[in-house]
Amino acid sequence: MRLVVEGLRAAYGHREVVSEVDLCAEPGSVTAIVGPNGCGKSTLLRCVARLHRPTAGRVTVGGTDVWQRAPRHVARDLALLPQSPSAPEAITVAGLVAHGRHPHQGLFRQWSREDEAAARDALAATGVADLAGRRVDRLSGGQRQRCWLAMILAQDTPVVLLDEPTSALDLGHQVEVLSLIRKIARKRNRTVVMVVHDLAAAARYADRLIAMRDGRVTAEGPPAEILTGELVKRLYGVEADILSAPGDGSPVVVARPEEGATTSSPGN
Amino acid sequence: MKPPDSLALRFGSRSVLLPKRATAVALSIVVLLLLATAASVAVGNGRTVGWRAVEALLGGENAFARRTVFDYRLPRVVAGAVAGAALGLAGCLTQTLARNRLATPDLVGVNDGATVGVLITVLGSTTASIGAWWAGPLGAVIAAAAVVAVAGGLGTAGYRVLVVGLALSVTIDAVTDLVLARQPVDVARGVWGWTIGNLNARGYEVATPVLLGLAVLVPPALLASRKLNVLRFGDDTAATLGVVPGRWRLYALAVAVGLAGLAVGIGGPIAFVAMAAPILATRLAGTARVPIVTAALSGALLVVCADTLGRAFGPVEVPVGVLASLLGGPFLLWVLLSRKDS
Repeated sequence: MRLVVEGLRAAYGHREVVSEVDLCAEPGSVTAIVGPNGCGKSTLLRCVARLHRPTAGRVTVGGTDVWQRAPRHVARDLALLPQSPSAPEAITVAGLVAHGRHPHQGLFRQWSREDEAAARDALAATGVADLAGRRVDRLSGGQRQRCWLAMILAQDTPVVLLDEPTSALDLGHQVEVLSLIRKIARKRNRTVVMVVHDLAAAARYADRLIAMRDGRVTAEGPPAEILTGELVKRLYGVEADILSAPGDGSPVVVARPEEGATTSSPGN
Repeated sequence: MKPPDSLALRFGSRSVLLPKRATAVALSIVVLLLLATAASVAVGNGRTVGWRAVEALLGGENAFARRTVFDYRLPRVVAGAVAGAALGLAGCLTQTLARNRLATPDLVGVNDGATVGVLITVLGSTTASIGAWWAGPLGAVIAAAAVVAVAGGLGTAGYRVLVVGLALSVTIDAVTDLVLARQPVDVARGVWGWTIGNLNARGYEVATPVLLGLAVLVPPALLASRKLNVLRFGDDTAATLGVVPGRWRLYALAVAVGLAGLAVGIGGPIAFVAMAAPILATRLAGTARVPIVTAALSGALLVVCADTLGRAFGPVEVPVGVLASLLGGPFLLWVLLSRKDS
């Protein structure tokens, strides 16, 4: 299903943080939203996920407005992995993943064959089937993040939203999780939209970049086309060189030290 | 792959999950509750004690013993069990809502509101008997509504509601004392016994309506338990799983307030049961899901046992509320000081 955002505006109180944003994400692709802190990218994702009510504009999935439908029905089309999700104390991996099936269940439909199949498939696809009986709070950060992805996958939604899925991970796990996300989009034809802090990672794993500043989209398109030193300067206010990765030619961002900037003073 | 420790029962397109450990624990508590009932009717004054009373309970022929057991002792046990179940269930709901094991209905002013409600009806009547069980839930609802209104809504973490509840319940508590202080000594003494939690002379006349109230409120509580399981993941995750947090929180709080109010209407504000029963239930049934049923059964067992103990030693009866507080203090320390590591 296509995810389309049209003329979206959102505010906290009287302060508008998202202004007139349009975007479109296609099935089978990964779209990364990037931008400096406070640019409105997380709020945009929250509006799409139905966590924050926009002041204007529309969010549609497969042609229907998510704000016009029952929350439970939207939850069958759209899943979100929050930035730092919290799990109940002592829950096991199997228990966590099973909860992803909630939107498909009811009082007399507590664990159908489809629930069973979807949960098993999600565990296998994310490589955590062996951990099913383990406690989530005893796993490493990388393993835990794969378990959360399994829960989102078990929800079996055409659209998957991720809020900084790799912010707490080391380089190895970052690569592992981002590769998995791209695989999910490609193989399962999911529409994946993620907010990412790391511009280099976004450039490497996303099919499309959406660059935001001050609540507006300043550039969008394939990373190799839109990622320039000028864009980095506009987004973050730093000079940067864009190199080409030796392997696949994807853009690599190398920031230049600020001219005249002093190194951190002692005692500070 | 199945949710851990559970049995999926399927009938065509319908399916029900039966948690294995929780079911075994619930059945065991039912057995214990029956044993406690037998022990409770066996304790008392006069000749109908011990085996003679149990024999009458099980269908013995002695007419006098039967009257003592079925007309005086069993009604009190049933009243206690019903109050305990309501408290345990209410406590389970509030603890899950606040994500805090110390969050009980009394903290949002429910007990004090219910107490004042019953007190006012007692003092307004000429008979000065504590029959107005319905004033309990009414007072509880008014107090809880006042607390939520002053706090300006439930909020997300519930801390605001708890702090406002603490402040208001101290005020309402003072109203109780003020009202009592202005009564003649004999009236005040009779009513005071009830304000500390007492099952003395409570029977079917209060247990039956409250049991009906419980029958109305338990299905919504069970319905809410599936949503509460999801709410444990935090508001954002719950919302994206289709559970609107504010709506279900208010719903569960309303059910909890109603239950706690009913319980106070029976036995007065019996302390600690609402806190202890859900904690006990979690330890026994595991943390995989919100232990709604086990918490209710544990509450019933705790109150019946406390009431039996209070009558077992010496000629003077110790009110169940006093005994619950006496046992509850060490229990609270145990909860706070013991770290659970498996």
